[in-house]
Amino acid sequence: MGLTAFARLAAKAPAPVFVARGANARSLAFELSGTGDVVLTQTPRHACVLLATGAFPDSMVPALRQIHDQMSHPRGVVLAGAHFRGHGPRGVFSDPVVVTPEGDVHDAVVVLHRDLILGRRPSAPPLLPDRDPTPWRGVGPYGQGGKGMTGGTPYGRPLAGLADDRDGLKLDALELRLGPFLPMFPPGLTLTIKLQGDVVQQARVGDNPFRTDERVSVGARSSVFVRALSGPVTIRELEHARAAHHLERVGEALRAAGLGALGERADRLAANIERVEAAAVRRLHRLLRRSRTLAWATSGVGRLEPDRVAGRGLGLVARACGLPEDLRTQDGAYNELGFSPLVEGGGDACARWRLRLAEVAQSLLLASAAGTRTTGGTGSVESPWGSISSDHAPVGSLLELLPGMLEGSDWGDVITTIVSLDLDLEEAART
Amino acid sequence: MTTPLPLWLAPAVVASVLAPAVYLTWVLDRWVGARVAGRRTSLGQTLASPLAEAAQLMLQSSPRAERPDRVTWLLAPASLSGLAVVAVATVPLGPMLHIADAPGGIVLFGAAIALVMVAVFLHGWSANSLFPLMGGYRFIALALSFEMPLALVLIAAALPAESLRFSDIVQSQVDVWNVVRQPLGLPLYLIATLGASFWGPLAFPDAPDLAGGTTAESSGAALLVWTAARYALLVALCAVGAAVFLGGWLGPGLPGPIWLAFKTAGLVATVVVIGHHVARVRLEDFVVVAWTVLIPLALVDVFLSGLLVL
Repeated sequence: MGLTAFARLAAKAPAPVFVARGANARSLAFELSGTGDVVLTQTPRHACVLLATGAFPDSMVPALRQIHDQMSHPRGVVLAGAHFRGHGPRGVFSDPVVVTPEGDVHDAVVVLHRDLILGRRPSAPPLLPDRDPTPWRGVGPYGQGGKGMTGGTPYGRPLAGLADDRDGLKLDALELRLGPFLPMFPPGLTLTIKLQGDVVQQARVGDNPFRTDERVSVGARSSVFVRALSGPVTIRELEHARAAHHLERVGEALRAAGLGALGERADRLAANIERVEAAAVRRLHRLLRRSRTLAWATSGVGRLEPDRVAGRGLGLVARACGLPEDLRTQDGAYNELGFSPLVEGGGDACARWRLRLAEVAQSLLLASAAGTRTTGGTGSVESPWGSISSDHAPVGSLLELLPGMLEGSDWGDVITTIVSLDLDLEEAART
Repeated sequence: MTTPLPLWLAPAVVASVLAPAVYLTWVLDRWVGARVAGRRTSLGQTLASPLAEAAQLMLQSSPRAERPDRVTWLLAPASLSGLAVVAVATVPLGPMLHIADAPGGIVLFGAAIALVMVAVFLHGWSANSLFPLMGGYRFIALALSFEMPLALVLIAAALPAESLRFSDIVQSQVDVWNVVRQPLGLPLYLIATLGASFWGPLAFPDAPDLAGGTTAESSGAALLVWTAARYALLVALCAVGAAVFLGGWLGPGLPGPIWLAFKTAGLVATVVVIGHHVARVRLEDFVVVAWTVLIPLALVDVFLSGLLVL
């Protein structure tokens, strides 16, 4: 009786959810957390529910299984528009809750959480055997993995080895592979980095898992920007989509800076973009622009010089370097609306999030003034990632620049940089 | 001189002071978070939220990681809780009511706060995992930068009282509170509080960019104890701030403990609001500012306080 009352109390807690996103994933941040009875966790250890959304190529499935097994009991899985090649609608999981395209993901998560806590549904069993990934190969006198006190790869985990630091000291250098589901990373991004302390000495971007022959997506990418490549769309729809996209990225940047509640506010604006007044965005913009610490934390981080980005069609990233590169200046419909590109100086993360917020307000004004004007169908479009065409995805250029931007940065700056660049690997794989 | 509580009563008093304070701080944190996010929550939902979250964590299984140092992993949250209790116990609750009003109260409090570094590092190290370890190292790198100003402003507050005992420091503010007499003290102390409780702009060890940092591998009861200990630590730091800079129990009309509770709540609310509005700064930048601005300012605070006493 006592335990039942205790479980009922526990069932009233916000459902802790870890989101794993594949290609063509639904944008769920606000849909889930907007009511306060779901909380998105940064680590699977804190979660009761694993929410998988999007299409997962085979290369991402092992990591997905690991995440599942890292969750504590009681645990369960919700699949929302999730697809796995050759695994059927239930994917790689034993007994997931499958949400139909018309279904409510939020309700499915809340109900599953309650059922797990109240014991109405069994906790999901492990998917992987509980054994070491590779055997212990200790040969040292203390049972360690190598000779002497350091070195070797016990259990397949490379130990830190001494290497020269940038300061001329000798410090432990540790090589790690991170991703593809790290919450602050874009879905699918893997980085192999060599860390000394929390400073990145080397960085290498892993293969794009979405660049594959597998038919992982259900149909083509449905983005309005991709549709605009081949046919006309209304400026209103395009600018609303741009504003929502930028607001979601601002929300991610705020969460990375420890401002989760303000990030949720940005998500709320993004989710209701067609009803949002420009004044609400301007209020958020004003609040953040006045934040000395946010500017302090992002100024000079992930800086790109104009000569490295000029002419690559990098859109907002180029405009944040002071370059007025924007395909909309060549569009008659936009010229009728008096459009001129916004720019920021600095080329760093601070300039990028400030410009994102300014462009949100600009897009809302364009959308409200556009009426029934249309654009698109010319084979190239100014998207939130830059100038895209059927054979050009500017995100690929950013991925080439990324290692050089990260090397020498501490871990916090690495995350700030990655979040500010909007590295959509699915978009990079489109061409 | 105040009257000490009987030893057997002390644990009950600490628990009865700290438990509701932790609960109310947790409620306040959730309420402010909802307001900042623009989310409407009912009063009942807000009040029940910490209890429900705690119950859920109690029902969650214990954390499992690959070859952790199990003893230390369990000990770290318990250590942080113990240090918060020690810190709270040093605060005199009223003119005739205190738990552990030691002659060297400031030293005892400072020692407890210094040992927080050990608890946080052990929490990060013992999980045998990357992000928790990085969180632990971050706190080590940061600790001295906020502990020095914290110690210096407390010493400055002790000078007019000519005593390291917290009750004497409160009594020395009968005419004028230290927040007026030493205007540098409280702002510096609040910055140090953000660091010591790893909160808001100085929330380095458990930050989102480290996937939860030292808590990245934690779950269940251990995570509950760690979370509650963080709130308790924040309460302890704010209670000391209220005693040292805002006159502690001093105030007209109401009983002393009520005044102390109000003042502590005011400081807790300030820190919680800062936590939801002020972005986390870069660690390296903060260390530079701490050693070039905050510590020199804290020294100026000590020298000026000494001159005034002379």
